[in-house]
Amino acid sequence: MSIELKNEFGQIDISQDAVAQIAGGAAIECYGIVGMASKHQIRDGLTDILGKENFTKGVVVRQEKEDLHIDMYIIVSYGTKISEIAYQVQSKVKYTLHKSLGMSVKSVNVYVQGVRVASV
Amino acid sequence: MKSINGIQFADMVKMGAHHLFQNADYVDALNVFPVPDGDTGTNMNLSMTSGAKETAAHTVDHIGKTAQALSKGLLMGARGNSGVILSQLFRGFGKFVEQSPTLDTKKFAQALQYGVETAYKAVMKPVEGTILTVAKDSAKKAVEVSETEEDIRLLMVAIVEEAKKSLERTPDLLPVLKEVGVVDSGGQGLVYVYEGFLASLKGEELPEKTVSNLLMDDLVSAEHHKNVQGFMNTADIEFGFCTEFMVRFQDGKKAFDETAFRNDLSIYGDSLLVISDDEIAKIHIHSETPGEVLSYGQQYGDLIKIKIENMREQHTELVGEGYAKETPAKKEEKHPYAVVTVAMGSGVAELLKSLGASAVIEGGQTMNPSTEDIVKAIESVGAERVLILPNNKNIIMAAEQAAEVLGIEAAVVPTKTLPQGMAAILAFNAQASVEDNKKGMTDAFAHVKTGQITFAVRDTSIDGVEITKDDFMGIADGKIILSIPSREEAATKLAEAMIDEDAEIVTIIYGEGVTEEQASSLAAFIEEQFEDVEVELYNGKQPLYPYLLSVE
Repeated sequence: MSIELKNEFGQIDISQDAVAQIAGGAAIECYGIVGMASKHQIRDGLTDILGKENFTKGVVVRQEKEDLHIDMYIIVSYGTKISEIAYQVQSKVKYTLHKSLGMSVKSVNVYVQGVRVASV
Repeated sequence: MKSINGIQFADMVKMGAHHLFQNADYVDALNVFPVPDGDTGTNMNLSMTSGAKETAAHTVDHIGKTAQALSKGLLMGARGNSGVILSQLFRGFGKFVEQSPTLDTKKFAQALQYGVETAYKAVMKPVEGTILTVAKDSAKKAVEVSETEEDIRLLMVAIVEEAKKSLERTPDLLPVLKEVGVVDSGGQGLVYVYEGFLASLKGEELPEKTVSNLLMDDLVSAEHHKNVQGFMNTADIEFGFCTEFMVRFQDGKKAFDETAFRNDLSIYGDSLLVISDDEIAKIHIHSETPGEVLSYGQQYGDLIKIKIENMREQHTELVGEGYAKETPAKKEEKHPYAVVTVAMGSGVAELLKSLGASAVIEGGQTMNPSTEDIVKAIESVGAERVLILPNNKNIIMAAEQAAEVLGIEAAVVPTKTLPQGMAAILAFNAQASVEDNKKGMTDAFAHVKTGQITFAVRDTSIDGVEITKDDFMGIADGKIILSIPSREEAATKLAEAMIDEDAEIVTIIYGEGVTEEQASSLAAFIEEQFEDVEVELYNGKQPLYPYLLSVE
């Protein structure tokens, strides 16, 4: 399934994967995020932090009618203000998608799947 | 000063927070990354204030314990990206000095360094050119200097200097900053904190505001950047004139009060920036009525350096450039003009060539040619101008892509069936432009009705027609209208369904597996049934579709 936009020149299809890549890319640049986590931890057998090549597993893009919803599964760093980081992710993802794709997202839901305690 | 204790540190924090608070507006205005929402200063200020409050409440002689209080206060009050980073920097700092009652230069520098390391650990992909970079560069410098320097004051001087230099370099590291022409807002905030630290160590008072003309330019760039982001259409610009001017205050005129001045001006427009000292105020505003703004300013004194720009004009130019490139100006007739089309079956290809096609690409249903195939075919013709007829709805997209990459004047006439393509070719006019031809040919095939007979590959039901495998289906303009076991009967019935009183010419193209006799008898049947209709018969040798009918 893909997201369709129409203008006077024709149609633009943006795959959900592409949206997930952009959202994931925006998220991992956010301060406090140490990684993305898989939504299906047991099915994917990935309890660890997802690497850069598969971080989109931690992003779920859903389209309900005209609205776009994004779920982000993140792992944050211990000792940070997690609520604030989650908020930063929401605002950054929303802004980046709007800027790069011109699409507005109905909701960005953040699921904090884990907290990594830095080995100091 | 060789070492500092908790009480001195608490005063540094207080001054740092105070200095940041004084300049929070400016930091806000610089905020273009990661999201240009202009809240970095506010957020950092709230975070730092929370840290300073907690520190003030728990100040003890032991610097380790005092730093813990700062760390806790910052963590609780962290707001925004920069606020969270700030809290991490001092969390690491606090952890490092936890056991130390006092700090010398070496320890202080190492603590800063440890803070930076902690902050970097909490991010997967650090973005350079931000507060992180400024903290990293200044901590590195601190470690270097502390090797030989024993005076904390002088160490702090070096830190502030390096932080400022690093801040100047942020636009080189983060492209968006360079584009807008500002330094990083979070980095600027950190510089203010460090400047506060230094002022406290020196026992100086900091100036209320450290805004200069240079800063005004930064503010204006940042403000305009936010505007450009917001406006897609020129018509959306509400306040059309970017107005900048300076007022030199005069005795006898209205006394200047910045808050009142701001409030008064804000009714004239948005993006208002006011910077003032005792003699001069510098104003930037986007307004629809710049004249009124200037008149208002005159109440306070002489106007100097007035600059007014029409932003709608600028915006149109900006947007206009994009459009200009799309209109090709050349309309010369000297180059060959080609029609390239897609079809299946050698007979059909010959037929299309006889009608005027320069090249026929082999393809159609179940074997769509790629964009590359189309480009190659057109290049082999050596045409300078070309019209592409895909003759299948699944090929239109590839054809359009081919038209784009060709680099010559090209247009796609979106024919979906062979009969449409034939009608379009007949309307081709070598004297007309590509655009005119596209329009003329598109109009020409619009009234052509297409009938197809093909066989079913599985049992199904489409459009309310029950279809059995190996049945012959009659398709009229893409819609399945019948499905029966006999091919000839299907063809006859389809013809009957399609031909109405407006029909003049019926073209039958028979394909593989159909004999000339069978086709002739279909033609004869049509002529018999509909007296006014002229029937043309072609052997297309096409696969998959035993009969193709075109009704005009």
